[in-house]
Amino acid sequence: MGHLRQFPRRSRLPRGATAPDPIPAPVGAFITVRDRYSIFYDRPVPSLDMPNALAFEVEDRKQPGRALYALISKPEMLARISVMRILKGNEVSNTLQMVDWGAADWPPADRKCIIIIYFRPLGGRVMDSLSAIREKIPEHQFPKLIIKPIADALIELGQKGITHRAIRPDNLYYMDEGRQKIVLGDCCTSVAASDQPVVLESIESGMSGVYGRGSGMYADDMYSFGVTLLMLALGRNPMAGLSDDEIIDRKVKTGSYAALAGDERLPVSMIECMRGLLTDDPEQRWAVEGIDLWINGKRMTPVQAKSETHSQRAFMFAEQEFFACRPLSVQMHRHWDDAAKAINDGSLEIWVRRGLENNNLADSIAAVAKTTQAMPGDQKEANDNLVTRVLMLMDPNAPIRYRTFSTTLEGFGTSLAIAMLQKKTLQPYIDFINRDFWRYWVSSQTAYHPDHAQWEGVFKDLKNYMKDTNSGAGIERCVYELNEWLYCLSPLISSQYVLEVKSVLPALDIVSKSSNTKMWPVDRHISAFLRSRYAKGTGTQIDAMNDERPDRATTGMLSVLAIVQWRLGPDTVFGLASWVGGLMGPIINSYQNRQKRKEIEREIPKLVRKGNLPELYNFVDNPEERQRDAEGFSWAKAEYAAAEKQMFELQTGQMDRDENAQKMGRQTGAGVAVVIMLLAYAVTLIGKAF
Amino acid sequence: MNKSRVFLYLMLAIPIGLMVIPTMIVLMFALLPSGVAFIMERGKGIYGGVCVGAMNLAGASPYLVDLWFEGHTVEAAFGILTDVFAILVIYGCAAFGWAIYATTPSVVSTFMTMTAGRRIAALQDQQKELVLKWGPDVESVYEQEDKKED
Repeated sequence: MGHLRQFPRRSRLPRGATAPDPIPAPVGAFITVRDRYSIFYDRPVPSLDMPNALAFEVEDRKQPGRALYALISKPEMLARISVMRILKGNEVSNTLQMVDWGAADWPPADRKCIIIIYFRPLGGRVMDSLSAIREKIPEHQFPKLIIKPIADALIELGQKGITHRAIRPDNLYYMDEGRQKIVLGDCCTSVAASDQPVVLESIESGMSGVYGRGSGMYADDMYSFGVTLLMLALGRNPMAGLSDDEIIDRKVKTGSYAALAGDERLPVSMIECMRGLLTDDPEQRWAVEGIDLWINGKRMTPVQAKSETHSQRAFMFAEQEFFACRPLSVQMHRHWDDAAKAINDGSLEIWVRRGLENNNLADSIAAVAKTTQAMPGDQKEANDNLVTRVLMLMDPNAPIRYRTFSTTLEGFGTSLAIAMLQKKTLQPYIDFINRDFWRYWVSSQTAYHPDHAQWEGVFKDLKNYMKDTNSGAGIERCVYELNEWLYCLSPLISSQYVLEVKSVLPALDIVSKSSNTKMWPVDRHISAFLRSRYAKGTGTQIDAMNDERPDRATTGMLSVLAIVQWRLGPDTVFGLASWVGGLMGPIINSYQNRQKRKEIEREIPKLVRKGNLPELYNFVDNPEERQRDAEGFSWAKAEYAAAEKQMFELQTGQMDRDENAQKMGRQTGAGVAVVIMLLAYAVTLIGKAF
Repeated sequence: MNKSRVFLYLMLAIPIGLMVIPTMIVLMFALLPSGVAFIMERGKGIYGGVCVGAMNLAGASPYLVDLWFEGHTVEAAFGILTDVFAILVIYGCAAFGWAIYATTPSVVSTFMTMTAGRRIAALQDQQKELVLKWGPDVESVYEQEDKKED
């Protein structure tokens, strides 16, 4: 990724060259990135704001005069890093040209934010907002001014594997002041399709939660394109003022084209194009190549609207009559508990069998009802499972709906990430994984899709992570496994916007000054992030960190940081080393020799001052020292036990000792007497001799 | 002890005994306390008899030397035995031997108890040092193993 530095570097001039005139310093409150772009946070450009990003003026010090602006993605939103990586430096015609992007410290938010610098559109937005009314674009201008450029842009994006998912009238811009060149706006500052109102999304995408729509398919972009064209043709949003539920109801009831175009007077030449783009069947919806052909005058095959099977008899639900599955499933999702009753009492099954004459579907509903009721667990959980699965059967194209939570499989990961970021309840996501909702959705699909097979492995792993309550697993691991470019959400370093493993230690080093140093610098999020992004390098160490013994766990924590520094740098992390050094208590106490403990305590500050964690780790967990300590301790224990035994024997062996003393005394007495006798004879004999 | 050995000892002892009859006479009476001691203390070994006997012999030493050097005769032997002072010295030394035999064990016992106390104190100091060096985890309690009786 691009890291944007803030401080300019000195440049060297060749010999003989004179220094150029100095560039006047920018005036105002700003940050400098890449040593050239000054982003003024006291000069907002509200007219270019995005729903989840604010626009500010930018000056390029190396090329003054270039019209640029920056979008600062809000901290509580995720940006599409994978798309930015592709778009940077790659001009895509008829889109806002990205100049640069990266994470940089943003003073107003007091943290790092994603910043994207674009060329500034000089003509402003094509439509100020979806509630605005603008002058209709003349029919003859549509193909050249709007359709062709946007179609070309979508072709190029498609070639790069990118779905835009932010096509709407207020995200189109005039690049020139003459308002002749229209370009597609930003699609990177928020999660795919999350800024799209329901009116601009297909029925299925509209039914999903905004963060769970996923990157979608090119057909989703074509739908949004079609609605955009319709709005520009009408000069307004034909569904303005309606709620999201009402919009979906109308689309489901009459089809998207009829709901949107209705009685509106559309340009005749545009009708065929709009019908093609707004067909609800993604298979029949026009691809971008079809637009090209249409522009060039080729007659396209008329779109055959597939009508859903209707029942002769109505099904009463929520005080309404329903004759088809899809609209009924929409209402059942909104009246969850009533839906459970309707399924459990068999009325739904009967209506499907007799009204819709769909025995397969009726059998499937009955089987699901039987299975879920037989499963252990409480009734509420069983009903939730039941309704979720039955809704999938009734409308396989819809997203997975579970009470108030709905998501596509593809969008589950980003939805989970946003929920974590915004500190929302994660229980629906945990239930989603543990109850295998994905499996039921895949099995409810009528058509095979090669992507379905991949979900087996993905969700199997997620379920295993959920079973493991240790650090490095759990729901945190799931979110990083599902989102390749999610930054580390640990409260310790989230402000540093860490996207790669090699940035973890520098981030911890920065925050060490203000963090609670009694806590470990490796929390559940960081260990899950490392495990996900760098499993080979940190897996064993993170497992050690989960050990029950405090000394082993602390050693594991130190080893995690040490191995990351050793393999990925940086060379020194003074702040982090000091933080970690203060947590070495359990490791020090694991040594039995008190002298050794004092030695380690004396040495740790010296090693901390070097800022080298591998060295610190090698010192506190030296295998030879450990062995020496263990052996010494064993000897000491044996010595203590032997002394204890001797004392016991000395204290309790009084009788034996007395007996010995008696014996020894008699022997001594006898000996003394014999000596005296010998001396007496010797003295007497010597006296006699002399 | 087989008969041949007994015969050998007798063959040695009788001629020697005949040669040292005066000494034997003196010793027979002088060593009466020793005999008593051997008999009385025979349950506790020979040390009682040895102690008293050695002191007994020590008391008899000047008189025996005189006997050996100034006339090894029966008369001289009886002269010693009828000398009250000599008997007093000989039996007094035997009494001293008894005193040594009686008091030495308690002296030794006292000494051993003192030594044990010092040893216990030394062991406790050693244990304190171990605890200082290795911490309280080094401590253990000695439990005597029960001896199984058949």
